[in-house]
Amino acid sequence: LSSEPIERRVSYLGDRLRGTRCEICGKEYFEIRDYCGNCGRKSFGRMVGSDLFYEKGELEVCTLVSEPTNKFTKLGSYVYGIVSFHDGKIRVPGRLTDRMIKQKEKIDSSTLEGRAVVPRFRRRYSVEKCDIIPTISLAFTFADEYYPYQGYRAAGPKKEYDVPGIVGYGFYSSRFRIREGSIERAIPFIDEDSITAAVEAGKLGLIHSGVDNASVGKIYVGSESNPYAVKPIASKVAQVLKLGEESDDDVQGVDAVDTEFACKAATSVFKDAASLVDYPKSNIQNAMVIGTDNSQAAPRDCPGGELDLFVGYGAAAYVFGKTDLIAEIEGWYSCTSDTPDFWRRDGEPHPMHGGRYTGDPAYFKHVRKATVKLMQRLGLQVEDVDYFVAHQPNAQFPVKIAKELGFKEEQYMPSLQVIRFGNTYSGASPVGLAAVLDVAKPDSRILVTSYGSGAGSDAYSFVTTSQILDKRPRQKLTVKYQAENPFLEHVDYTTYRRLKLGM
Amino acid sequence: MLLEDPWSFYAGCTPEANHELMLRAYIKKYDLRGQDLERLNVALAQVSVKNHLHAMKNEYAQYQRNVTLKNVLDARADAGKPLGLLDFAPVSDGAATLILASEKVAEKLTDKPVYVLGFSSATDFLTFPAREDLTHFIVTRMAIKSALKMAEVSLRDLQLIELYDQSTVMEMVSLEDMGFCEPGTAWRSIYESCQHYEGYYEVGGKKLFVNMNGGLKADGNPLGATGGAQTFEVFRQLREEAGERQVKADGNLNVGCVLELEGFGTKGYVYVFGSEKN
Repeated sequence: LSSEPIERRVSYLGDRLRGTRCEICGKEYFEIRDYCGNCGRKSFGRMVGSDLFYEKGELEVCTLVSEPTNKFTKLGSYVYGIVSFHDGKIRVPGRLTDRMIKQKEKIDSSTLEGRAVVPRFRRRYSVEKCDIIPTISLAFTFADEYYPYQGYRAAGPKKEYDVPGIVGYGFYSSRFRIREGSIERAIPFIDEDSITAAVEAGKLGLIHSGVDNASVGKIYVGSESNPYAVKPIASKVAQVLKLGEESDDDVQGVDAVDTEFACKAATSVFKDAASLVDYPKSNIQNAMVIGTDNSQAAPRDCPGGELDLFVGYGAAAYVFGKTDLIAEIEGWYSCTSDTPDFWRRDGEPHPMHGGRYTGDPAYFKHVRKATVKLMQRLGLQVEDVDYFVAHQPNAQFPVKIAKELGFKEEQYMPSLQVIRFGNTYSGASPVGLAAVLDVAKPDSRILVTSYGSGAGSDAYSFVTTSQILDKRPRQKLTVKYQAENPFLEHVDYTTYRRLKLGM
Repeated sequence: MLLEDPWSFYAGCTPEANHELMLRAYIKKYDLRGQDLERLNVALAQVSVKNHLHAMKNEYAQYQRNVTLKNVLDARADAGKPLGLLDFAPVSDGAATLILASEKVAEKLTDKPVYVLGFSSATDFLTFPAREDLTHFIVTRMAIKSALKMAEVSLRDLQLIELYDQSTVMEMVSLEDMGFCEPGTAWRSIYESCQHYEGYYEVGGKKLFVNMNGGLKADGNPLGATGGAQTFEVFRQLREEAGERQVKADGNLNVGCVLELEGFGTKGYVYVFGSEKN
């Protein structure tokens, strides 16, 4: 590991892809520079930051790297090249990610060069378990493949609401899948983890919501698969997305916090985010909640290995506020009991599972109670609800509870995404909600009930607004787009385990 | 070869990848296709073949063995890449010693001192992709210009040059950067000269003796000692002590030149040596 100041500098510049532009001659540099090489002394103080994070670049030239330097060996072979932005004014080195290149596979550079690419936030390379995980956005994917280019335009708030709610959202999962029977599950690429997914989802959430990143005064990142036992990840997300007020010292004026509360680590704090933006003295216009997981499971033949049949990968981000809402919060109900049907002891690599114990006394009991209590509190009947989103650890549980509560297929099926992405743990109910928000009409009531093992359940009722239709065209990476994408790549079980562990 | 630029490293670069990217950029910039592209690829392979041929006459060379055109092309096919193992110089162990002295002292020490007539160096961005021209080394252009000025020697007087051929691409591009060939044409001169290679490139009707010791490719590339080895070759040639590989220049051979690059063209050093002082 390089020295701490250098490591910090690299992450400030590289995670976000920032450069500098000379105000006098317009020359751009991919580095922070105090003066321009062309203009010399007179440019001192006239160098402004230039941000490439939401930009589209062009792969100018490329070649195959089949024998990488030591730290990159786990990435196998990859295409490395030079990416230019702003019509060639600024060039950066870059690696094409999300491509698995087979041994002896021939790459014709000329077929790749000249194509548009989008910067992606990824791990730089593999490190030992004890090391800091280095990240960077010098990784790119083609804009005409799985991850399309989407610009980010922050527009000032137009409409205020009396109650808080969802301003925008984003869902991200990788393009790699394993298909077994009727279930398809998402797998991180080897340079992805729960941090990179959180950043991607947050980025998509900002794009969709259209709020200024500086207006987000609080971020919660809920996860069960933080790659660190001790080290926050919300700070990384806040820094990369430049949340909160920014000053010259590269310290974001945002309150960031990691939450860990089984699979309801994110939904649990929806109400905190909503309350915070509603409190007039909080000075917080918007708050972001991200549920992200590279869901953990032991290999199939080990204790706890039954989870390996269901675990997925993905993250969903929600921006809460009181302006330009796509859905208002109508109410919530949360309940908790110490029902430990899923756990991982400190130092153990994989979680254990309560087996049959996880059904009636755990999942169903809590989901039933939270949903019924919320409906009673709001005086709702089943037919008042347009969509029901239940926590989805597998395909059976949410269907069973929905039927038991009296919901019909058209109410619960749109949210059922576990068969596409697997169980995304903290992202599981949020992805269901995202899938519904992707299709819901204005004035639709959405009931979401999450569940966390040994944690409890949260039930929320949202009512969509007319602005949901205005914002919909901003999001190309919808849940359906990612689920039914023609660029999905399916891998075998061995590759799946290797990618999941980042090995 | 070393990868000195942290940004390229973080993005997954290897030292070899930069050379291949430069080649890709060269092909694109000069729009080389069809027969021209084929000839460029052959010309680059011929650079390697030529350097090995020279090394066979150099008792200090690391690889004193013959390499054929087919060997070079097969190595590329094996790697499935535009450049193969035999396009690149090795990383070697080695040492070189130069004794530098004032004219007075040098003339006391030897009857045939070699004079440093001119020298210069230049620096460019560390990050190769950040440079304006991806197909050439601006440092070479700057350094050769001022070194020649200092030496009061014209480019036409130079017939003996030791170029920094970390790869075959680097030798080709350096011929253009030094000013011997027009940009985008060096491959043509190499290709034509190597059809019946007689120990030199023929550039603009003039003999150009390049990397007579076998270059970095075959003489070896002991990093910090490489520049010393290049200088040693010019020293021997100017003193007419190069034995079998002594060049037969048009007229008297009284000047020679060394180009050394550092960190894929981050720094360039040019030295002009002469057997007679100005």
